[in-house]
Amino acid sequence: MFDLEYAVKTIKLTKRYGSLLALDSLDLKVDQNMILVLLGPNGSGKSTFLHLISTVLKPSNGTAKVMGYDIVEQPLKVRQVTSIAFQDPRGFWRHKPKHILSFHASMYGINGAERSAIVERVMKDFDLWESRDKKFMDLSGGQAKRLEVAKLFVHKPQLALLDEPTAMVDLDGKRIMWDKIRELKESGCTVIVATNEVREAEYLADRISIFAKGKEIITESLVDLKDTIKGGDVVEMEFIPEASDSVIHALASIPGTVSINRISRSKLKISVSRSEDWLPLATNYVHNMGLKLLSIRVSEPSLDDVFMNIIRTRINN
Amino acid sequence: MRTVFNSHQIVTLLKFDLRESFNSVLWVGYSWIYFLFQLFIYGSLISRLVVTVQHYFFYYGTGLIILSSFNIASWAGRRFVEGAHEGRLRYILSLPIGRSEFFVEQICVGVTVNIVRMLPPIMIVLLLSGLFSWINVISTLLVLTLVAIGIMGLMISLSVIAFKSFDIYSAIVASLSALLIRFSTISYPISAMNSLYAHISLTNPLSYGADLLRHVLGIDTSLLLAPYLSISMVVALCVGTLFLGIFFISKFVEGVKSS
Repeated sequence: MFDLEYAVKTIKLTKRYGSLLALDSLDLKVDQNMILVLLGPNGSGKSTFLHLISTVLKPSNGTAKVMGYDIVEQPLKVRQVTSIAFQDPRGFWRHKPKHILSFHASMYGINGAERSAIVERVMKDFDLWESRDKKFMDLSGGQAKRLEVAKLFVHKPQLALLDEPTAMVDLDGKRIMWDKIRELKESGCTVIVATNEVREAEYLADRISIFAKGKEIITESLVDLKDTIKGGDVVEMEFIPEASDSVIHALASIPGTVSINRISRSKLKISVSRSEDWLPLATNYVHNMGLKLLSIRVSEPSLDDVFMNIIRTRINN
Repeated sequence: MRTVFNSHQIVTLLKFDLRESFNSVLWVGYSWIYFLFQLFIYGSLISRLVVTVQHYFFYYGTGLIILSSFNIASWAGRRFVEGAHEGRLRYILSLPIGRSEFFVEQICVGVTVNIVRMLPPIMIVLLLSGLFSWINVISTLLVLTLVAIGIMGLMISLSVIAFKSFDIYSAIVASLSALLIRFSTISYPISAMNSLYAHISLTNPLSYGADLLRHVLGIDTSLLLAPYLSISMVVALCVGTLFLGIFFISKFVEGVKSS
């Protein structure tokens, strides 16, 4: 029986190239109808993972179920429900974008007038219609990349895999592409995006998985990921008339306080874990002590901070 | 195990590949002109020098047909490797088509290109030798198809090496091609060779392909290898490399760039 609880479920999935361990016993579960973003330094195994679950590569050990189909035992079934947009669009130099998309549609059983209509719509959506009769080799880098991603929108697979989908694409193009990827999810697809761009992850992700050295380090939602940094949230409080030592002692005793620095006589900078839990307790203390607050400013760590922190701490450990 | 191929995917991919293969009409025209140059300059001059073989021009012409077909089949194998190098292969491997079906499609591309590119040269050789008939044209194409399938299967099977090293693959294919052409009856009959060369040539499937073609067209049979042996060897090559190719492509081929 198929395990349809997850879109992807890997079991000790491993890929070796000679002595290089590209993916190391990966156990990862991806829920259906979500966008999972894979973040990680170059060579962390993100692309290898996408290539394995699209059956382009064969695992050295372990396996994975994709929409309930085993990548080793049922690779053709997997390919029928999966589609991948590769990192660097190459090949088919002499074909025209229109023919490439028509071919792709036809391979997934879309033919005739329906195919023509879909190809035209997708090309217009991805701003490729004007270039429909150019040869692939005459497209710009950004156009070739948009064409690569557009393939997935021709047939809307159950599992869409995108390897750095907006690399080489200008800012406007990135926004369009991100919105289209979200639409893909809204239409019922499960989407996995591998990227180095933190902003892309913030914009798209329901969950983020951080990869390093062929291993999955952590998979969480963006909010939970930010909360993994101890003292990652910074709260600046300005008191009237001043922040006394007794206030500092009181705040230090609140669960979640990591450090307190005095910026001026009236201002404190407090590093806390989970500011959303800490702040109500802090304001309650201040109120009970009969003190007055002029301002409170809360800043969360950026995903950049989270990413670097996780890579530095967990990898070094 | 599935035994029925998904013909829709094979035909779709075949049409797409053929569109690319025949994209340059200039290249197809060039291959015909090259054949004519080879036949009318080299072939006519060398046939004046060769006096031990009757109608050597025709013998050479049929050999040239097999040689050209061999080159096209080798091109089909190289194209497969280049596809891996250029990132085309990994895309095809991600599509909903079985590996065996993909291999069969690749063979069909080679066979179609072979027929289209060889048809005019075959007709010219047959017209010049006074042997033109549609039966002879079809028989020649049939022999060429069997030989081409065998060579393509061999070349695609060898592509497994290219995934380890493209340089080693290129060196092996170039050396193998040179040896297969030289130690064969493409340009000279077994009877003209010394014992060592003859023994080596008898292990070469191209010898059997070339002599089978000459048998079919009715050239001086005293110069040729036995027809039943020839047809057995050609069919064995064809079937053997088909299975070998399907095995290799299913077991070892992955969508990585060759290094």
